[in-house]
Amino acid sequence: MKALILVGGYGTRLRPLTLSVPKPLVEFCNKPMMLHQIEALVRCGVDHVILAVSYRAQTLETNIADWSEKLGVKITMSHEQEPLGTAGPLALARNILIDNQSAGETVNEPFFVLNSDVICEFPFREMIDCHRSHGKEGTIAVTKVEEPSKYGVVVFDQHSGEIHRFVEKPKEYVGNRINAGLYLFNTSILDRIEVKPTSIEKEVFPFMAEEGQLFCYQMSGFWMDIGQPKDFLAGMTLYLSNLRIKDPSSLCNESLYESSEINGNVLLHPSVSIASNCRIGPNVSLSDGVVIESGVCLKNCVVLSGSIIGSHSWLNGCIVGWRCHIGRWVRMENVTVLGEDVIVNDELYLNGCRVLPHKSLSLSVPQPQIIM
Amino acid sequence: MKALILVGGYGTRLRPLTLSVPKPLVEFCNKPMMLHQIEALVKVGVTQIILAVSYRAQILEKETSSWAKTYGIEIILSHELEPLGTAGPLALARELLISGSQSQPFFVLNSDVICEFPFDEMLRFHKNHGREGTVAVTKVDEPSKYGVVVFDKHSGQINRFVEKPKEYVSNKINAGLYLFNSAILDRIKPVPTSIEKEVFPFMASESQLYSFEMSGFWMDVGQPKDFLTGVGLYLGNLRLKQPHALLAPNADMSVIGNVMIDSSVVIGKNCRIGPNVSLSADVVIEDGVCVKNSVVLSGSRIRSHAWLNSCIVGWRCSIGQWVRMENVTVLGEDVIVNDELYLNGCRVLPHKAISSSVPKPQIIM
Repeated sequence: MKALILVGGYGTRLRPLTLSVPKPLVEFCNKPMMLHQIEALVRCGVDHVILAVSYRAQTLETNIADWSEKLGVKITMSHEQEPLGTAGPLALARNILIDNQSAGETVNEPFFVLNSDVICEFPFREMIDCHRSHGKEGTIAVTKVEEPSKYGVVVFDQHSGEIHRFVEKPKEYVGNRINAGLYLFNTSILDRIEVKPTSIEKEVFPFMAEEGQLFCYQMSGFWMDIGQPKDFLAGMTLYLSNLRIKDPSSLCNESLYESSEINGNVLLHPSVSIASNCRIGPNVSLSDGVVIESGVCLKNCVVLSGSIIGSHSWLNGCIVGWRCHIGRWVRMENVTVLGEDVIVNDELYLNGCRVLPHKSLSLSVPQPQIIM
Repeated sequence: MKALILVGGYGTRLRPLTLSVPKPLVEFCNKPMMLHQIEALVKVGVTQIILAVSYRAQILEKETSSWAKTYGIEIILSHELEPLGTAGPLALARELLISGSQSQPFFVLNSDVICEFPFDEMLRFHKNHGREGTVAVTKVDEPSKYGVVVFDKHSGQINRFVEKPKEYVSNKINAGLYLFNSAILDRIKPVPTSIEKEVFPFMASESQLYSFEMSGFWMDVGQPKDFLTGVGLYLGNLRLKQPHALLAPNADMSVIGNVMIDSSVVIGKNCRIGPNVSLSADVVIEDGVCVKNSVVLSGSRIRSHAWLNSCIVGWRCSIGQWVRMENVTVLGEDVIVNDELYLNGCRVLPHKAISSSVPKPQIIM
């Protein structure tokens, strides 16, 4: 079975992190974003993943070759010379998606399409069952949200799941189930799409819905589009809560750190070192080689590999990039994001600050801004 | 003869341009910044240039390797694992600087400096006074922003340095070009060291430091505002020395003041270009465009009726019709600005598309 992941371009919404590393490789809860998706696809039987990219990055291709080998899955790059939107990439990859050379594969085998920023429980087997059950051309996973007006709402028949229409960012309430960015299509959908910039939501789905060919699968469990810092942090909280239920032993055990307090859900790489009198959590993930000095308080934070947080510092709602050095008695909050190799001097206050890589901060930043 | 160029690190002051290209390779008046310095050094007989870098960039090494072949000189990278300041790199490169020609002094340059590079005259002046070091100084209007040099008017012997003086001391500042005897290396260790604060004061008290008064233009082009000022000064100098390198007035457009364009540039009808404009390779300017005090890097397109004043447009950008951009707006590589927008003091990171006006200075990431 095949899957296509819409990777896209430069990942500018996740800058400054993506100034150093291509978005699919940014670690979400200590695993590259894309690896979460690929592992879930492999688990449900996908043996060929196509990455639709509009920008080729050497580091991405090196990592992919690695994952391909380790997971025993074929991974192909489909490179758009001009950005093709959300449907165009499928047409570009037509020959790969339709290919029925492999043993036991028929032309009618459906394929998955994923938006690369989505994190959730990836209920792929259930989607396959749902798709077989209704027997039509397409299945869209939908998820329930509290603020549907920010997203693309799906209006469908509650019993059959047949989709009537889509309403983009509705001003009045029409429903609270939104397009979760996970699809399962029959290859016949490729006859609807040309190799040019095309929006799947605006130019393909409406026709399929009209013909009664589009159904939705109602997902339960957590869901988040983590393509920007605020949502990246919210997504981490949801993911860790899910881990608490599904695999609690992977979260930090309070008793491991006698001289420090661990609150709520905290995910630590085994090589992390935490000194005494710290308060870590809730909703914290610390990557490979992170060092937390004494008396540090971290809440709702991500700290990427190799970073050091100096003693007595307080961080809430922050993303700290790779190999940063935060001084002592530093206070950082309000979705402050530090790029790679940023130094924050002792005793500073950073509020909603986004700092580009290789910068050194020697003054407080009390109002949200970008430091270049 | 040898020279050491203090290249440094990530060039963050010249972002967003340096997010795409290492600072030494950013084109200043259609030639990589560093090449201006290298050509001037080659002209005076330098055969070995050491680049003191604290960050190695593949693309920089490729270019410098190519330049070395073209000019028949050696270009060596001296890589600081931790930033060593303005003196430390000299100690790190000691073996390279001392080897071979012990009796010859060596040049040291700050990589952001653009001027007439009077290296011949500096050499003569240095040999004449016969002491350990020569520091080029230049006259500026606002000395309080820089490191001021206090020296004897007749001999040039330096008494002291005053960093960013609050009261007027002098209007001659350290121009970032030096000529030293190798004896100076005995004063420096390969640790983070400031040449101005930790080496020069000792040399001055021993009467071993002299100032060479430079005439002509000078600018530290390490940040956008100064980069643009530097372009104006450089083109002003070209007007005197090599006027044929500038764009001559012609019937199809208004050329005002000093303008430099690459031979592949295409300019439409009814445009007003200049003063102080440089346009790089393959830039396309459509009809009715006005560009003043600006730099447009290669491959960019400025669509009709746009108005630009005091801007730096990066490589392969597209500026829409009737766009107005001013006040040191800087666009990184591959930025698209939609039609009819207004950008004021905007710094835009690479690969962004701007679809609404930015009336107040800010960074768009």
